[in-house]
Amino acid sequence: MKRRDFIQRALCATASSALFTSFAGKLSLAHASAVSGHRLLGSDYRALVCVYLYGGNDGFNMMVPTSSAQYAQYQASRGALALPLAELLSLNPSVAPTGGGSFGMNPAMPLLRNLFNQAQSPLAITANVGPLLYPISKAEYQAGTVPVPAQLFSHSDQTLTWQQPNADAIDRRGWGGRLADMFYQTNVNQQLSMNVSIDGENVFQAGDQVIPYFVGQDGAQSVDFVQTWNPERRAVFLALRDAAYGNALQRQYASVMRRSMDNEVMINEALDGETALGTVFPDTQLGRQLRMVARLINVRSPLQMQRQIFFVGLGGFDTHDNQLSDQAEQLAELDGALAAFYAATVEMGVDDGVTTFTASEFGRTTSVNGDGTDHGWGSHHLVMGGSVNGRRIYGTPPDLSAGGPDDADWGQIIPTTSVDQYAATIARWYGVPPGDLGTVFPNIGRFATSDLGFMAPA
Amino acid sequence: MKSGLWRFALMVTLLCPTSQVWAGDHVFDAGFDHRAEGPYSDAEAARFLTQATFGPSRAEIARLRSIGYNAWLADQASLPASHHRPYLEAQAAAGLEVYQNSRQEAWWLHAVTAPDQLRQRVAFALSELLVVSDQSGAIEGYPIAMANYYDLLVDGAFGNYRNLLENVTLSPVMGHYLSMFKNRKPDLDANIRPDENYAREIMQLFSVGLVRLNANGTVQTSGGQPIPTYDQDTIRGFAHVFTGWNWANCPRDQGGQWWEWEYCPSGPVDWPDPGWDAWWLVPMEAWESYHASEEDKQLLVYPGVALPNGMLTGGGTAASDLQAALDNIFNHPNVAPFIARHLIKRLVTSNPSPAYIGRVAAVFANNGLGVRGDLGATVRAVLMDSEARTLPSLASNAGKMREPLLKLTHLWRALDGRADDGRYREWYTDYYLSQAALRSPTVFNFFLPDYRPPGEMAALGLDGPEFQITTDTSIASVANGLGAKVFYDWRGNGGQQPEDIVVDLGPEVAVASDPVKLVDRYDLLFMNRTMSDFMFNTLVTYLQSLPNTNTGRRQRVQNAVWLIQSSPEYSIER
Repeated sequence: MKRRDFIQRALCATASSALFTSFAGKLSLAHASAVSGHRLLGSDYRALVCVYLYGGNDGFNMMVPTSSAQYAQYQASRGALALPLAELLSLNPSVAPTGGGSFGMNPAMPLLRNLFNQAQSPLAITANVGPLLYPISKAEYQAGTVPVPAQLFSHSDQTLTWQQPNADAIDRRGWGGRLADMFYQTNVNQQLSMNVSIDGENVFQAGDQVIPYFVGQDGAQSVDFVQTWNPERRAVFLALRDAAYGNALQRQYASVMRRSMDNEVMINEALDGETALGTVFPDTQLGRQLRMVARLINVRSPLQMQRQIFFVGLGGFDTHDNQLSDQAEQLAELDGALAAFYAATVEMGVDDGVTTFTASEFGRTTSVNGDGTDHGWGSHHLVMGGSVNGRRIYGTPPDLSAGGPDDADWGQIIPTTSVDQYAATIARWYGVPPGDLGTVFPNIGRFATSDLGFMAPA
Repeated sequence: MKSGLWRFALMVTLLCPTSQVWAGDHVFDAGFDHRAEGPYSDAEAARFLTQATFGPSRAEIARLRSIGYNAWLADQASLPASHHRPYLEAQAAAGLEVYQNSRQEAWWLHAVTAPDQLRQRVAFALSELLVVSDQSGAIEGYPIAMANYYDLLVDGAFGNYRNLLENVTLSPVMGHYLSMFKNRKPDLDANIRPDENYAREIMQLFSVGLVRLNANGTVQTSGGQPIPTYDQDTIRGFAHVFTGWNWANCPRDQGGQWWEWEYCPSGPVDWPDPGWDAWWLVPMEAWESYHASEEDKQLLVYPGVALPNGMLTGGGTAASDLQAALDNIFNHPNVAPFIARHLIKRLVTSNPSPAYIGRVAAVFANNGLGVRGDLGATVRAVLMDSEARTLPSLASNAGKMREPLLKLTHLWRALDGRADDGRYREWYTDYYLSQAALRSPTVFNFFLPDYRPPGEMAALGLDGPEFQITTDTSIASVANGLGAKVFYDWRGNGGQQPEDIVVDLGPEVAVASDPVKLVDRYDLLFMNRTMSDFMFNTLVTYLQSLPNTNTGRRQRVQNAVWLIQSSPEYSIER
């Protein structure tokens, strides 16, 4: 019987929260032997930071071809939305990208451009990544002979597809959650979830054993009216919170409240004792979120965390209208926040152990609808960290011409690299042995490689 | 924990019989035709009002008991609609600056005090379906226009869904939010295609959803996989349909020149006069020269579809194409279970049985007079279904998490929360409640209808949409926010200003000398008598420990209300 099935059956047979807890405890023990191979000793630290760009970031206006023929194709497709060649910030990769040509960065991203171009660069770009079930050509797509993920071009569905490996569209575990299920026992601290979100609920971090913990941009929120100055009220509140409830929704509410209160004390105590970082973060949505990630990493020792996965998010990328000005603002925010975060990891001496990557449900059409673009498919993505083989463009930059070989039909560019490959490359660095990749990414064997090369060896 | 019998003994000291296991009330009513449909107890009345209004009050429980469900529903249907836009216009006329906070004031005023509670509650449910949000820069500067959009939902709450869909589609607010406004026909030389945004979301979120449904809302599969409702060709077809719509009454020479389309000279302007612009309040108008007329358009295909193979042949006008397309959507078999599921989840329970969805969907499909899409009849079917009117067992996992916003409306309706100056300056509650009317983060609402929290609920296959906004942070903020409303913001507390919204603890304190009576009062008012004996006894024991003095009695009230509103049993309404 598969482990997941067993858990399902165990839970279905469970009537009360007390039983649920004891089952989960037994499962954890049973599971320990299975993952003991991944247990790490010593003081090493590894974290992943998923930067989710909600709405579908237009990667094709984030990194733009600058060689004349390719720029002309881009300009013809994008029309009024084409960024002027002279404004693009030139990229100087150490190795020519597949297919050759030169590229420039959106003018709103000077800091990341500089990170990319520097020696020992911590920044890589992976070209034209998107959700796929199998490698697929334009002819195969148009003939419908090769399956594609369900509900392409839909925000909600492709957000799921990016965050959870394709084969399991029915269940709600993300690949960050699956990684956490493999590694959570590495941490001495078994109370705080290995997966922490600063941007609320997401599928990426949901696992079987590991349920993500949500923290605010300024720290954990306490329940004000049950502090120790009123022990009698506190006792009643806790009695009501911790009673055995007959309804699963009641148990869920109680368990979120319990976890919230337990972790709040632990996290805020650790943050109170923090030696403040010198790195200054931009006071933006993403800047504040990444600052909190940096602060939590900064207190990793008192929190006794060695393996963590963080989730931050920024909305506003669904640029159906006003794309040129709106996307420039979003990318500038991304630029400032990511650059500050990288500087903070260097300051803390954990840059080799922290890998940050972007995700976004889809890119955008190369065709335009006036002053915006529609939902596309493949897009370019950023990977950043001291263990990233930076200053390179990985994957295959696509042909952006209207009706060209990569144009699915209406300007949606068919991905040449699957999300599974992108994610698996990161997962291998994180410590998943190649032989175990299939348990996290069931479809990975369908693609030519599970290592795109942008990460240093684990 | 004391036994249920102990609790029953406490009850006999009260005027009214209360325990749900005691059916004397029910027996007494047998044979009285005028109330044959119930409610047969205060608890049943309170439970119904929890589903049908922004929260029961003692007066409304008594009224519902005296007239019965049918008369109450008929009364609600006959009440004139309370509109939100006039509130903003009155503020503007009085010289106040009108921003989105004025719109939120109007929402609170109506939620807490409007007599047409059912209409307002359904309008709120519709605002979580036909989503627009002031978090979008395209519409945030236009509060009066957004209030007017909300009024479309208020007016449409008991109307026909086909009309509502058309009103929403042609609203400049929706037009700007999902970019159908100024959407134009293709220009292939310039690689310009019609915007797909509205085409996609009207199908995915407002009507048919992504996968084919059976009449009871279960998913149709083929080879184990859900069958998609439409594909990219369909989206393109609708994207072409929804072209050529611009401000009403734009002056047009020779059918409309590009600069007129773009700037609407001497017609509507966005700036510098945001929010007051009359053009935002009337439906968009068609410009034929910008409509993609000539192309054939692939629309939805389904059994019995009127258009052959769902194909709308080219040559139509912007208006005729739009009518045909909305008819094509509206008559898709998915719409009935899709809307039924939404309304049930917003009003009654997160995990309805397929049979319940099927019964409500059948009423949507045909109200008994051969009319499809009658929302008034559909709402009635949602509320009067046996699955809604029967208190479910705990083990069935029926019920729903209360939306944080509705916890606060409930508090203020129960304890007469209001400010001396009559306004409800409860602005931007998303900061601590993760919700505020027409202020969701995206068109996907505050939460998805099929969201399942990881862990036990996911393993059991239980949806809990509201849990999507119940994070470790927000669960504490909601508890803190509600606590502040009852521990600090009460009438008579020092330093109260005319604009402070305060609850009236006076009538509550009068009862608080007897903690049993007090908790019983709240068991009815807040929990339609579903409070467990354990919770009841725990609260009573605690309240008895607080002194029976003026201050102590007030603290009994405050603690009782807050401990209830932050408890697992209250937070999941059953």
